[in-house]
Amino acid sequence: MTNPTHILVIDDEPQILRALKTILTAKQFHVSAATRGEEGLTLAATGRPDLIILDMSLPDLDGIQVCKQLREWSTAPIIILSVRDSEKDKVAVLDAGADDYLTKPFGIEELLARVRVALRHKSQVAGGEKNTMIRTGKIEIDLAGFIVRKDKAEISLTATEFKLLAYLASHVGRVLTHQMILSNVWDPAEADKIEYLRVYMRQLRKKLEDDPEQPKMLMTEPGIGYRFVTEE
Amino acid sequence: MMPIPQRARQISNLPVLAVYLLTLGFSFATCAILLGINRFVAINETTIALIFLLPVGLSATLWGLFPGILAAFICFLTLNYYFIQPVGSLTVHTSEDLVVLTAFLGVTIVISQLVGMIKHNLAAATDREFEALRLYEFSALLAMSQNEQSIGHILLEKVDQTLQPERIEILLEATPQPILVSIEHSPTANANVKPTVEPLQSARGLLGEIRVWRAGNPIKEIEQRLLKIFASQSALAIERLRLADAASKARVIEESDRLKSSLLSSVSHELRSPLAAIKASVSSLRSGEVEWEAEARTELLTTVEEEIDHLNILVGNLLDMSRIEAGALQPQKKPNQLSEIIGAVRGRMRKQLQAHMLDVDVPDDLPLVNVDFVQMEQVFTNLLTNSMKYSPSGSSIQISASQKDKHNLQIRLANKSTPVPEADLEKMFDKFYRINPSERVTGSGLGLSICKGIIEAHGSTIWAENIPNGLAFYFTLPLA
Repeated sequence: MTNPTHILVIDDEPQILRALKTILTAKQFHVSAATRGEEGLTLAATGRPDLIILDMSLPDLDGIQVCKQLREWSTAPIIILSVRDSEKDKVAVLDAGADDYLTKPFGIEELLARVRVALRHKSQVAGGEKNTMIRTGKIEIDLAGFIVRKDKAEISLTATEFKLLAYLASHVGRVLTHQMILSNVWDPAEADKIEYLRVYMRQLRKKLEDDPEQPKMLMTEPGIGYRFVTEE
Repeated sequence: MMPIPQRARQISNLPVLAVYLLTLGFSFATCAILLGINRFVAINETTIALIFLLPVGLSATLWGLFPGILAAFICFLTLNYYFIQPVGSLTVHTSEDLVVLTAFLGVTIVISQLVGMIKHNLAAATDREFEALRLYEFSALLAMSQNEQSIGHILLEKVDQTLQPERIEILLEATPQPILVSIEHSPTANANVKPTVEPLQSARGLLGEIRVWRAGNPIKEIEQRLLKIFASQSALAIERLRLADAASKARVIEESDRLKSSLLSSVSHELRSPLAAIKASVSSLRSGEVEWEAEARTELLTTVEEEIDHLNILVGNLLDMSRIEAGALQPQKKPNQLSEIIGAVRGRMRKQLQAHMLDVDVPDDLPLVNVDFVQMEQVFTNLLTNSMKYSPSGSSIQISASQKDKHNLQIRLANKSTPVPEADLEKMFDKFYRINPSERVTGSGLGLSICKGIIEAHGSTIWAENIPNGLAFYFTLPLA
C-alpha cells in the first residue's frame, strides 16, 4: 500500500470522529480529522485529501461556508453529514459544491458506498475519461450515440427526456438538486419549474423502470432532487 | 310628569295645526250630514246628541285629550245652534233641551278625558315595551360579543340611537391598551360644551366611561337613567368576558401541565426500553465472559440497530411535535407527484410492510400537489405505522386518491383495524391518545397528532371514519 486514499473528516463531535476514524482506518484509508471549520480548511490545504467528509454544523463556520471556501481551490469530493429536516440547508450546500449528503444517524455501509461512488467519479474526472456507455440492470445508455436500450430493445425517448437522462446518468451516484437539473437540462431561467421535472421524470420512469412507483435507477431524493443509481 | 315619549309622538305624527283642523272638520262634517238627513227625516234631539258623540270620540281616540275637548265644544255649539229650538240661535227655550245640552257637554268631556287618558297610557306602555325590547336586544348583543372592542361599538351605537347627541366617546380601560370608540355628528359641538359622563362601574372597579355631548337639549332624567342601565350592562359584559378569559387561561395552563406530565411518563418509558435493549446487547457482546457464536452475535447486533432506528424515529417525532406546537413547522411546498411520495415511503418501509398487504391505487397521472415532500412522507409513514400496529397481521391496507374538486386531491388510507368509538374518532388525533389506555402498544403516541399538524400546516384537513371491517383515514391536499 504505497499511497493510501486520504480522507479528511471535519466534525465537532468527538464520538463521531472516533467512530469514523476507527472504521475508515480499518478500511485502509488514511484519515485526518478536524473539529473546527478553520482547522479543516487548513488541513485540506496542507494535506490535499482525496475526499472530505464535512459536518453541516460546526462551532465556527457552517458547512455551506466551508464548502464554498473549499470549492475555490479544491475539487476533492465533499460528502456532507447532516441531521434530519434540514432539506433547505442540504440543497444549499449541494448547490455550493458538495457532492453528496448523508443524514445522521447513518449506517456505515451507506457511508462507505457513498465514499466509493465519490472516489470513482473523481478518478473518472481526473483521468479525463468520459464513460459514454452506462449499463445497469436491463438498461444500456449510449450517451455518445443517443441510444437507450432496455432488454436490448431500443427505447425511443424525446429530445428532452434523453437530455435529462443523459445529465443524470453522467453523474452516476451523485445527488443532483432540482435546481441543478433544471438549469442544466432546461435553462437557468427555468430553475424553479419543478413541475416540468416531475412530468419528465414520470415519463422516464415509465419507459425505463420495471415498476415506475418503485424505481431502482432513477431515485428520488426527498425534498432535494434526484440520483441516478446503478446496480453494483 | 313624564316627557312626551318618542313613540307617542310617532303615532300622531301630524302637525298640531292639522290635528285641530281635522277635529273641526270632523265636527262640522257630522253637523252637515245631520242637517242633510234632518231635511227628509225628522230626528229627535237626543238621537242627534248621541250621533254628535262620534266626532268627539274619534278625535279623542285619534289625537288625544285636547282635540277631544275641542270637538266636544264645537259639537255642543253646533247642536245648540242648528238643532235645539229655537234653531239658528244659541238660546235655549225648554228646560228639557237645557238638560240635553248640559248632559251632552258633560258626557263628551268625560269621554274625551277617558279616551285621552287611555290613549296616553297606551302610548306610555307601548313606549316602555319598546324600550324594554331595545334593552333586551342590547343585553343579547352584549352577551354575544366576544371582545371588549365589540362591546364598545355596541354601546356606542345604543347610546347614539337613544340620546341622539352631537358626539359620544367611550373609553374602556382594556389591557394591553385602552380602547376608545367615538362618533361625531356635528364637529363644532364639543368645543365649549361640557360632556355628560357616565362611569362603567363594576364590582372590581372602574372599567371605563361614556362621555356624551348634547348641546341643544339637556339630558333628561329618564335618559340619564337609560344611560346608567347601558353603562351597568356593559360593565357586566366586560367583566364576564374578563372572567371567561381568565378561566380559559387557567384551563390552558392546567391542560399543558397535564400534557407535560403524560409526555414525560410516555417518553421516558419509550426512550428507556430501547436503551435498555441496546445496553444489554452491547454489554453482553463486550463482556468476554461468553464466546458468542456468529449467529447470536448477529442477532444481538440486529437488536441494537433496530432499537437505535426506533429511538431515532422517536426523537424525530418529539422534534416534529415541538415544532408543530411552536408553529415552526413551515412546509417547503413544491409541486410533487403523489405516487412518487408514496413510492418513496413504500421503498423505505418495505421491511416493516412485509406483514401486511399494501394495495396502492394512486394513478400517476393525477395532477401535481403543492406539498412538502419530506413532511408528506412523514404523514404516510405515520399512518401506515399506525395501521400496521392496530390491524391484524396479513390484512390489507389500501391507499387510494382521487381529485376531489378544482383545488384538492382526496386521499384515503383504509385498514382492517377494530372500529373506534364514534366519540373518539376525533380524539385519535390528540397527543398521547390511546383507544385503550391499558393496552401496551409501543409508540410515542404522537404519530397521528403529527399527521394532523402537518396536514393542517398545508391548509388541509384530516379525519377518520369507521368503515365495514376497518377504519379509514381521509385527508385532502392542495393541487399545485
